[in-house]
Amino acid sequence: MPVTSTMHPAVGEAFARRDRAGRALAADSERIAHACREMAVRFRRGGKLIVFGSGGGGTDAAHITVEFMHPVIVGKKALPALALSNDSATVTGVSGREGPAEVFAHQVRQWADPADMALGVSRDGDCENVLRGLATARELGLFTLALVGGDGGAVVRRGVADHVLTAASDDPAVVKEIHVTTYHILWELVHVLYEQPGLIGEKATA
Amino acid sequence: MLDDPGLGTLADEGARGLYPFLSPGRADLGAVLAEARRSTEEKAAEITRLRWQVAEVAGDELAECAQEMAIRFAAGGRLFAFGNGGSSTDAQEVATTFLHPPCGLSLPALSLTSDVAVVTALSNDVGFDVVFARQLAALGRRGDIAVGLSTSGGSFNVLKAFEEAARRGMLTVGLAGDQGGRLADLGVLDYLFVIPSSSVHRIQEAQTTVYHVLWELTQHALGAVPGPRARGAG
Repeated sequence: MPVTSTMHPAVGEAFARRDRAGRALAADSERIAHACREMAVRFRRGGKLIVFGSGGGGTDAAHITVEFMHPVIVGKKALPALALSNDSATVTGVSGREGPAEVFAHQVRQWADPADMALGVSRDGDCENVLRGLATARELGLFTLALVGGDGGAVVRRGVADHVLTAASDDPAVVKEIHVTTYHILWELVHVLYEQPGLIGEKATA
Repeated sequence: MLDDPGLGTLADEGARGLYPFLSPGRADLGAVLAEARRSTEEKAAEITRLRWQVAEVAGDELAECAQEMAIRFAAGGRLFAFGNGGSSTDAQEVATTFLHPPCGLSLPALSLTSDVAVVTALSNDVGFDVVFARQLAALGRRGDIAVGLSTSGGSFNVLKAFEEAARRGMLTVGLAGDQGGRLADLGVLDYLFVIPSSSVHRIQEAQTTVYHVLWELTQHALGAVPGPRARGAG
């Protein structure tokens, strides 16, 4: 059947909306490189990556975990990572008893070791359970990193993370797409630095 | 995430080419960080180019596919999404985007990767190849929509699922990468969007755009106003 006349402009408009945010990622290259250095240091010390996000951000947490646990490049070392949004029994259990804001903070408290890293994904930066998860991780002395979009929301206003990477879009779909590229790059650069322990001031035996 | 060792090998060669400083004894931290920055800038440019390439090659087909999806939803059809590894997280993103969108109409959608009991039971008792096909055989009906993702186009359980979906009269929408792999030769797909890249990562990133655009255009075709904003999106 013929496609209605307004569909074609809508396709062009949708792709055009991705362009600015895609190119803006390059401006974050220095922040990304420094975050990767911090992460490589912690992995070298035996730390693990604890990842969480709500809604679509939960799918990013799972994707980030599988990147590190099952590397795309044959022969790369699997690095320990855990997604806190996957266990629906725990997520709905905590949500029912302690409230939805506590679903990640509760799990962070049980899993966190001092050498660990916490990575929170929130497309608007206002997700209360991601905020609580990051704040709790920080109190426990973890390195904290946030992937956000828009103006960074409360993640930026409350300063709950050591490093914040912001996708330059207000459209949550576009923010996710930039996040996917960002964590692919994070994974790759973490490995580059992890494999050069002399560079990050860590022993080669870890 | 890797669902085809062949693509992984290509990516490995690419990684070595991108990081000549990896040979021991040559690098200092400043040089490595500078190289890391350069690499990020290159990748940002690469995915931006790749998205436009997809828009040019597949723009018309995306519009047509979204219209067909809208017709199915309007008639009571449901969407089932599936994939392995990183693509399983895309299947979940597809499902939650349609089911609980930031704006527009909520539509029935299910990821076949989410129920660990069903996935492990089928894998253990029958075989991993049928893990999606069997679910479609039980849940799917004529007029539903099957969306399967495979970066290589070679995931056997995705191929089997599409064969089952086609048998049941579902609309079949495939997302693949590189040359499209076995999905390109399957012969039962209504739509196949192939991302022309040999990098698993860039393929996944462009696939994310493809299914988001399909969602947006489906909403458009159903008369819902898109214009999504980050507020309240989590």
